[in-house]
Amino acid sequence: MVEISHNIEIHNLSTWFGSKKILRDITCYFRDNSVTAIMGPSGCGKSTLLRTLNRLNDLVPSFRREGVVLFRGQDIYKPGSSVYELRKRIGMVFQKPNPFPMSVRDNIMYGPKLHGVKDDNELDKIVEDSLKRAALWDEVKDELDQPAPNLSGGQQQRLCIARALSVDPPVLLMDEPVSSLDPLSAGKIEELIVELKKDYTIILVTHNVQQAFRVSDEAAFLYLGELVEFNSTKKIAVAPQDERTEAFITGRIG
Amino acid sequence: MSDSSETPNVAEASGEAQEGIDTGSPLAGFANRLLKPLRDFVKADTPGRIDKAGKAALILPTMASTLIIILILGFLWYEATPIFLDPSGGPGIIVSPTWDPNRNLYGIAIFIVGSFLCTGIAIGIAVPLGVSGAIFLSEFCPMRLRTLIKMIMEMMAAIPSIVYGLWAYVVMVPYIRNVMAPELQSNLLTSWMPWFQGSTNGLSLLAGGLILAIMLLPTVVTITSDALLTVPRTLREASLALGATQSETARKIVLSAALPGVGAAIVLSLGRAVGETMAILMVTGNSLQIPYTLFDTTYVMTSIITNQLGYAFVFPLWRSALFAVALILLIISICFTVVAKLFIRWGMKTRGYI
Ligand SMILES: Nc1ncnc2c1ncn2[C@@H]1O[C@H](COP(=O)(O)OP(=O)(O)O)[C@@H](O)[C@H]1O
Ligand SMILES: [Mg+2]
Repeated sequence: MVEISHNIEIHNLSTWFGSKKILRDITCYFRDNSVTAIMGPSGCGKSTLLRTLNRLNDLVPSFRREGVVLFRGQDIYKPGSSVYELRKRIGMVFQKPNPFPMSVRDNIMYGPKLHGVKDDNELDKIVEDSLKRAALWDEVKDELDQPAPNLSGGQQQRLCIARALSVDPPVLLMDEPVSSLDPLSAGKIEELIVELKKDYTIILVTHNVQQAFRVSDEAAFLYLGELVEFNSTKKIAVAPQDERTEAFITGRIG
Repeated sequence: MSDSSETPNVAEASGEAQEGIDTGSPLAGFANRLLKPLRDFVKADTPGRIDKAGKAALILPTMASTLIIILILGFLWYEATPIFLDPSGGPGIIVSPTWDPNRNLYGIAIFIVGSFLCTGIAIGIAVPLGVSGAIFLSEFCPMRLRTLIKMIMEMMAAIPSIVYGLWAYVVMVPYIRNVMAPELQSNLLTSWMPWFQGSTNGLSLLAGGLILAIMLLPTVVTITSDALLTVPRTLREASLALGATQSETARKIVLSAALPGVGAAIVLSLGRAVGETMAILMVTGNSLQIPYTLFDTTYVMTSIITNQLGYAFVFPLWRSALFAVALILLIISICFTVVAKLFIRWGMKTRGYI
């Protein structure tokens, strides 16, 4: 068997909110430099899975977890491991664009400043780099000091991607990043995702099957908290193994 | 046909007329800016010509409150005119520090200074404390405790100021005299500081500032925490997902996002602080001097009016001088409000809220 490198592995992960079991014994991995799509009808636990990977669920007092999540071989829930360091290494883009109510520039500089970058030239360079990577630079380079909420929805979401990239994380989590955008902006961001996988491990949550097929290399189908199928996107598209997967991709459930 | 061709003509004509006025003189331009929204409002649904009564019902309260402010200003101005016109008075009273009605000296500078210092101390204490408290409440405090604390805060805000005054007179003033002053004046760290010098009987600038701070605190805490709670959760999550701690998120994102609301909290407390009368009157000692240390007695604008209006009523100049104090008080609080509004607007602009 060929050795494949992956930043993130999940072993026998189950999670609860209170007494409600959300994820059921999930085992999978996310390959480097590729896009892994997590599909499933809404409410099946896609966001919960994503938020378990950067420990954002820790904020919910009733959250409980069993099983192991490895980031570069290290258990991220091991007592004493730094959640802040982890979140710096695993970027996240949310369902609705959520730029901070401050200037475009300040949005990008927020993360690097938190983590100790002080030099103005370096910060300027980070701003330019991140915006270029998010394919937004040409559109906003003259408006860096304008408030970010004044940008269009699609631009805001790309700004959020740029903001996530500003601290240079190897992994990018994206929770239905285009579901609130118009088709044109959504198309731009899909292109961007494909572009970004050259340098990042991308985990893309979506309930849109076509989108998953368009951009992902591997796909996981989650149903009622269970990982029903996990395979290369091509195989799932052509010949799903499980009938629930087939039902979902043909639009009969979800 | 004739209808549809006429309407744009009218609009054009009035547009031209407005431009004509605009370029004419800046004053007319200003008047035009004031009147334009009114005109637009009246014209808003011209085609249908419905709902005149509803419109009147909307516009009357707005007009009425503006009118009331103008009337009060006019009334105070009218009452204060004698002192401003009299040779022994004049606008100079604003900077003159001697208040002695027996000698026809009506300098009101000490009251202005007293009010500013008391307000400054109170705001200086209440705002940082109240804002930190609000951050604790909205970001770190469990829901149950938050509800309880907010309830207590709201009750505190409803306590009449005379009650605060009585408490301060009986508890705080002796505490300042017997504990605080000796303590601060004897220890090496603070004893040399100029603002802690002087003997005191407890009735002091400090007492006034402190009791005012205590009275402002609930307002600052409740309004600020409400403002913080309206900041969407997704902004907090975005910050945390970048590796920020909860405290960094609270300070750099939540507080910054809610700054216009916090500004509003500060305006309200400023207004209350300069206008507060009863509690201040009871604990500041009310002697006619400019305070040089925190332990000096002081006299604020509201106190002089309350204390002397009864005697002054039959002496036109004296009485008029007191109205001048009130006029300046009102102008100061209007200025506070305007500055704060400008600040809030600026905050909303730079944050992309408007
Ligand atoms: N903070 C929370 N507290 C309690 N239950 C939650 C919380 N977040 C999500 N859930 C529950 O977990 C389930 C899965 O939600 P989610 O992961 O958001 O689904 P998806 O993203 O696939 O639509 C839902 O039933 C939801 O009600
Ligand atoms: Mg979701």
